[in-house]
Amino acid sequence: MNEILLDIGTKAIKLAEKMGADQAEVYVAKSRAYEIEAENNAIKGASEQIDAGIGIRTVIGKKIGFAYVTTQDTSDIEEAITDSLNLAKASFEDPDFVTLPSSVGSYQKAKGIFNKEVDELSSDEAAILLIRTIDATKEKLEGKDYAIESAIHSSSSSSAIVNSLGIEMTESKTSISLYSYPVIKEGEDQTASYEYQISRNLNDINPEHIGMKAAELALGFLRPKIIESGEMPVIFAPLGASAVLGRGFAGAVNAEEVQMGRSYITDAFGESIASETLEIIDDGTIPGGLGTRTFDAEGYRTQRTPIIESGVLKNLLHNSYTSNKDRVDNTGNAARPSYSGLPSISTSNFIVTPGKGNLDDFIAEMDKGVVCRNTGDRPNMITGELSAMILEGYYVENGEIQHPLKNTLIGINMKDLLKRVSQVGSDSRTTFSMITPSFVIESANITSG
Amino acid sequence: MEDLATAAIEAALKAGASFADVRIENTTTTIIEISDGISKRSMASRLKGAGIRAFIEGAWAFAQTTNLTAAGMRTTGESVAKMALATREKVADKFEIDGPTFQDHFKYKVKKPFRSISIDEKMSLVKMIDDQSRDFDKRIASTRSVYGDMHTELYIANSLGTNVYVENSIPRLISAPTAKDGTNRQRTFKSIGNRGGYEVMDSDAAQNIGNDAAELVIELLSSVAAKGGSYDVVMDPILNGVMTHEAFGHAAEADNWPSHSTVLEDKVGKEVGPEYLSITDDPTMDGKRGSFEYDWEGTKTKKRTLVKDGIFTELLHSLETASRLDMEPNGAARSQSFMSAPLPRMSNTFMEPRDWDVDELIQDTKNGILLCSYNYGYTQTAKGQFMFQASHGYIIENGEKGQMVRDVSLAGNILEILSKVDAIAKDFELDAGSCGKGGQAVPTMAGGPHARIIDVPVGGM
Repeated sequence: MNEILLDIGTKAIKLAEKMGADQAEVYVAKSRAYEIEAENNAIKGASEQIDAGIGIRTVIGKKIGFAYVTTQDTSDIEEAITDSLNLAKASFEDPDFVTLPSSVGSYQKAKGIFNKEVDELSSDEAAILLIRTIDATKEKLEGKDYAIESAIHSSSSSSAIVNSLGIEMTESKTSISLYSYPVIKEGEDQTASYEYQISRNLNDINPEHIGMKAAELALGFLRPKIIESGEMPVIFAPLGASAVLGRGFAGAVNAEEVQMGRSYITDAFGESIASETLEIIDDGTIPGGLGTRTFDAEGYRTQRTPIIESGVLKNLLHNSYTSNKDRVDNTGNAARPSYSGLPSISTSNFIVTPGKGNLDDFIAEMDKGVVCRNTGDRPNMITGELSAMILEGYYVENGEIQHPLKNTLIGINMKDLLKRVSQVGSDSRTTFSMITPSFVIESANITSG
Repeated sequence: MEDLATAAIEAALKAGASFADVRIENTTTTIIEISDGISKRSMASRLKGAGIRAFIEGAWAFAQTTNLTAAGMRTTGESVAKMALATREKVADKFEIDGPTFQDHFKYKVKKPFRSISIDEKMSLVKMIDDQSRDFDKRIASTRSVYGDMHTELYIANSLGTNVYVENSIPRLISAPTAKDGTNRQRTFKSIGNRGGYEVMDSDAAQNIGNDAAELVIELLSSVAAKGGSYDVVMDPILNGVMTHEAFGHAAEADNWPSHSTVLEDKVGKEVGPEYLSITDDPTMDGKRGSFEYDWEGTKTKKRTLVKDGIFTELLHSLETASRLDMEPNGAARSQSFMSAPLPRMSNTFMEPRDWDVDELIQDTKNGILLCSYNYGYTQTAKGQFMFQASHGYIIENGEKGQMVRDVSLAGNILEILSKVDAIAKDFELDAGSCGKGGQAVPTMAGGPHARIIDVPVGGM
């Protein structure tokens, strides 16, 4: 498989160069994704997505074009190369563009990112995992009026990146995720919650844990109330932490956004920007991580990059363009949506270094405050202002959860949030965007009504 | 394309499916992005392939293929039917798929097809609006200007006898400048999105979008963060559209009924708001980004009256939901592309105008806040919780517009919010958007008149 992709890539590069490209880069990928969905406590359907396509970046001088197509037919590839070159020709020069990346230094081969069990997971095995999840949720909800939505999703993909400067890399990855989303009705009250796991390895998935945890959480969100508004401490459980840091902070250390003046930390590079309690690294080399890879989306080697150490901003996340522009080392953080886009910048495994204690400990130690289990919000990336609804959360008094919350918002500037981190837990978990434990901030403006 | 679709459908039926459908798509897109006068993204794409579904007794299966040969379609048709058959025994709810059938060949006519316009001309347009922003004021720190066009040819057929060919053409123009004054930095976003060809770019709004966005971002330099608390909120048409979309539209998508995942489940035919409130979702409007003649299941679309005089009257249906709930299909099933199965979705969603004069509405608001435009919004229909964020607004004191504020978030509950709408104005405007659901984005519009909601929590810093 991977040899075929490399072969398609190599041929496309040669053709692009022959047709007039000074440099060219090809991203070729093929993936198979399988999903089974359940609604109202029973399986409903299955889907299989086989996706194979190619994206071609061409460079003429300092002008860049890109085109992709959802097939790998020779005639379609030729059309994409033509489109890519025509777009490059019509573009306005980017004086900061230096070159596509070349292969430098040694690559550290990624470990644990392809799991044979996931690759070969049969539809029956997937269905059994899903049914076990639903059964575990049901068991916890016995006697209640409920409807469980649940799904299992597995994928296996291979990609190859080839460019004119000698990069010829290929890698295969698997991933599996499973969730349970129970809705509960009780009188006039209706609520819902969810739990999920995602991993590259089948063995990491525990359907009973997911099922039971989802049910427990949902039960805990019945009868939500509003609270009196004011300044108070906030505990971010790992999903909430991941929303705030994985989206709200990772985007701010993206070198492209910083270069464009679109990040709230633009003027803070090398300075103390966070509490000394908070340490964050981006590490694409940890075995089995969701963001683990041998090379980034431009074929450049991946690495471990400290972001915040002792409160000080140490590094930004770079791809070849931004590192050339700033004349710094490329951190290997180029990212793209498979073959269908140009490289941007994203985290690999964005990790908050664990500290001490867990969510329960932090609640027990809290005099008066709120817990944010999750939010769907993101800050204004240029001012850092965050106004986040507590999508799932609780009010805490005297070390105990008093009730779940509704219509409640957290207001804080990200720059203050980073400085007000008073405790970081050890209850780390993997989410879709990072690996983080719970953490506590001293205070934020809470509005409820 | 008819032969290819027939090959897949016949193979699926032969393998044991009771219903099968096919979407064959050929879409081309262009995206041109210029920042600070420099090309940042010059991109073309072609999406070419087929999505095939098979169904038997309540069990669905979906697969996609880019092998657009009769043999490729047969193979996928057969394998998707086998997937549905394997799922059948595990399904709890048995039901059948039925619905009206349609045959049509619809060519969407535009004045200036995208392919008739050179890349150079499109590039010049983006450069022109990028320059507008850059030249507007010396406090403009950086600019981002994006043009996108998408032309779709779609053929839809199913085993009931529907076979429909449709075309669509939607352009988009975005200006997103940032401004800087000392350490004070602000950003904004303006977009134009209608249905049509390149002629949409000839409008005054499109030709001046760089100036308009720059003017707003400079004004934002004098804005402050809002103080949190409960306010009487006057929404502008754009934000009203977001509220209507997030706080009601999603909860009215009929796939929430079989899954019991909307707080509106028991409210059909009942009062959900004041008698002067009506909400419409209308994909038949001329020249709108959320408009389409047939949905992605080949059902002819029609105007849907979701709320009529405060009563919840209609849901957004796919063939499945209409069959299961024994209601009339109304053509709301949409997919992002052939790679996904269709889901019930909104189109152009809006609150119907009433009789308040906008100025009088603001004068009538003693202490409140006027909220305009939006950054984003989301909702969890099973819980009824939603939030959305206005991009900016103005404090209203004693009926007068005062201090500008920015990024104002508003949280609420679907069942509580509509009854708090106490005044609806007579103006009307729709704004372009993209709506995400189940990982699929589809073009939509949302809007309405200015309207006031009383005593809602607004987040502060």
